[in-house]
Amino acid sequence: MGISRRSFLKFCITCSAALGLGPMDILNMQVALAKTGGPKVIWLQGSGCSGCSISFLNRISDTVPTTAANVLQDSIDLIYHPTLMAAAGSQAASIIRDAIAAGGYVLLVEGGVPTAFGGAACWPWSIDGKEVTFQEAVIQAAANAAKVVCVGACASFGGVSAAGENPTGVTSVAKAIGKPTVNIPGCPPHPDWIVWAIAQILAGNAIELDAQSRPTALYGTRVHDDCQRLPKYQSKTFASICGVDESCLNLLGCRGPNTGAPCPTMKWNNGANWCVDANANCVGCTESTFPGGDLHVTLF
Amino acid sequence: MATTVVIDPVTRIEGHIKITITVDTVGGVQQIVDAWASGTLFRGFERILLNRHPWDAPHLCERICGVCPVSQSTASVLALESTNKVALTPDAVLLRNLIGAANFVDSHILSFYHLSLPDYLNGPAMAPWSPAWTSDKRPDATMTDALVQNYIAALDFRRMAQELAATFGGKMPHPPAIVPGGMTTTIRAERVAKFRELLKQVRGFVADKYISDVSRLAEIYPDYYQIGRGHGHLLAFGAFGTGTDGLSTPVLKRGYLQSGQAVTGVNTRAIAEQITYSWYDAGADGALDNRKPHDGDTVALYPKTGAYSWLKAPRYVGRPCEVGPLARQTINGSYTRGISVMDRHVARAQEALQLADLMTSWIDQLTVGGNVFTEKAMVDAAGEGLTEAPRGALGHWLHVKASRIGQYQVITPTCWNASPRDVAGIRGPIEEALVGTPILDAAQPVEALRVLHSFDPCTACAVHVMRPGDATALSVLHTP
Repeated sequence: MGISRRSFLKFCITCSAALGLGPMDILNMQVALAKTGGPKVIWLQGSGCSGCSISFLNRISDTVPTTAANVLQDSIDLIYHPTLMAAAGSQAASIIRDAIAAGGYVLLVEGGVPTAFGGAACWPWSIDGKEVTFQEAVIQAAANAAKVVCVGACASFGGVSAAGENPTGVTSVAKAIGKPTVNIPGCPPHPDWIVWAIAQILAGNAIELDAQSRPTALYGTRVHDDCQRLPKYQSKTFASICGVDESCLNLLGCRGPNTGAPCPTMKWNNGANWCVDANANCVGCTESTFPGGDLHVTLF
Repeated sequence: MATTVVIDPVTRIEGHIKITITVDTVGGVQQIVDAWASGTLFRGFERILLNRHPWDAPHLCERICGVCPVSQSTASVLALESTNKVALTPDAVLLRNLIGAANFVDSHILSFYHLSLPDYLNGPAMAPWSPAWTSDKRPDATMTDALVQNYIAALDFRRMAQELAATFGGKMPHPPAIVPGGMTTTIRAERVAKFRELLKQVRGFVADKYISDVSRLAEIYPDYYQIGRGHGHLLAFGAFGTGTDGLSTPVLKRGYLQSGQAVTGVNTRAIAEQITYSWYDAGADGALDNRKPHDGDTVALYPKTGAYSWLKAPRYVGRPCEVGPLARQTINGSYTRGISVMDRHVARAQEALQLADLMTSWIDQLTVGGNVFTEKAMVDAAGEGLTEAPRGALGHWLHVKASRIGQYQVITPTCWNASPRDVAGIRGPIEEALVGTPILDAAQPVEALRVLHSFDPCTACAVHVMRPGDATALSVLHTP
């Protein structure tokens, strides 16, 4: 997605407190973004549902310039994104081949990596008439990347794509490439989390990660601890049926006590709602265990 | 001399598709003379549902597709509710229709502006709009500028449509609030007010920009009313039911329209899945080919001689059927112009406005504080959930056994549209629609993309695996 440097900075400054960015970070980011052509970003899609891309658009569209003139200004250089790019076929394949050869980009991966059938369950493109498996593509693209970021549960941990019997042998990106990644899980992740990761990397900041390779700045607080219904949990006011406000959802299977995410304070879709405020239990979609276990059975 | 061109990746779709076309000159016009559509992603989705609690189905099924999660979730709860015949409250039905319609409008805006429009104009000279094929881009500088501005504006309006769905769905994509028996979200006055205000803006964009931008495009690409017809058979399962079962008296009707005939009803037993050209085991003498969804018993087989897609070929009464907004609007009797690339865009835009208007009416019918959930125990039984996703007919079939999911099966819209050839060698709808399309420059066959994008393909949802009866063998019904 194209986004003007100006509006991206405006977004980062606006959100600097929530995102944990200090004044120096903003300064560094301005320097990073001022480089000719903008920082190069590649977004790949493997075994997934494109929901992470849709979520990303939900945030970024809020700050995208509304005129073509603004768009044409300096921007993050999203040179490859299968859902958004105008190029197709051999032209798109050339773009990704050349970009990987040049190296130095930020690599964002959405979707898991299928390994069954020799990787043949997912081909993202063909080069010179030969289909490239997503497994090969991710390994090649990661090798020359400045940073590898997993966007969503599937890329981070396998997620829904690797659940149950995992018929296509989906693995996380980290397993596929044999080295650690920055994981931004969620099904999907909140758009602000994705933008936060990009902002930190462009600012050249070290990102403190937890045991699941998730930024502690984003995933360090349990949903339960910030939940507006925590007092209801403490007073044992539990809902036993759907569609009831003002009750704790523990008996309906809420995963909030075991889930690191800032959903209660950040909310979703421009503040429209979030799972618990909709009386729907947290399903723990930011955890590596998602979607294991019956989602409506109390575990915690 | 015929040239074979491979388009891989096909971009600006959801999922992964490869198109192979043969281009030759016939009657003085260079055109596509044959086409093959390959689904290049296989997820095997239904297996993950087996042995889980039935209530997990809507949560997991919506993860089939991030673009139309509400439809997947809805089909799933409809299938579950068909087992225990729970009666929904009027407010639950209204909420589901509001969320579903919001998802349709968001998806339709995305389909036209962000996924299709770059095939018709030269976008801004920067990534991700450039580089791009430049062949046959007809809008002049003024029109290009106006359409690009609306492309940017459309990003905001599709986001707002997602916010509409999230207001009662909990979040988007992947709303958690759609459950068997109704909804979890309560109807609060402030939510109703917010929905109404946002809807006004979204409807305004659809009425003032989307509809007229499609018309402007059609004016300078009138030939696309003659391109991309395909077989002409249309199928719709119907959606936005208004009865207490969430199904009856639907706004968008169910029906089948065989080319040149009158609209008839739909018998889902007349659906069969063919795998001659798909990477699935057809068994000895093709015994596992051409099976009805409930009887299917196939397994992935890769590599396989002659096969070229992870998609299967669903057929209705043996025919390849187009599904989507044009099929729905035509079967509803509200679109009659014809079947083509441009007709698909016009019908999609018309439907977006129709649904925005319906939402405007539905939001006023909600009762603040009204009951949205009916509790009723699950029963062990087979269920069927038929609805429409933005891009066409969607069916979920399941069997609850010993209070767990014993069988699950999904047939998605793109399985119909992007299917490969069938047992008889008949092309799938997109393949057939591609044939006859004029190609100016075989090195940049943007015309093929126009045909493809008019169907709004989405292949992540095309993946299915089903488990027949109590057998231990797993069967793959659809892919990728």
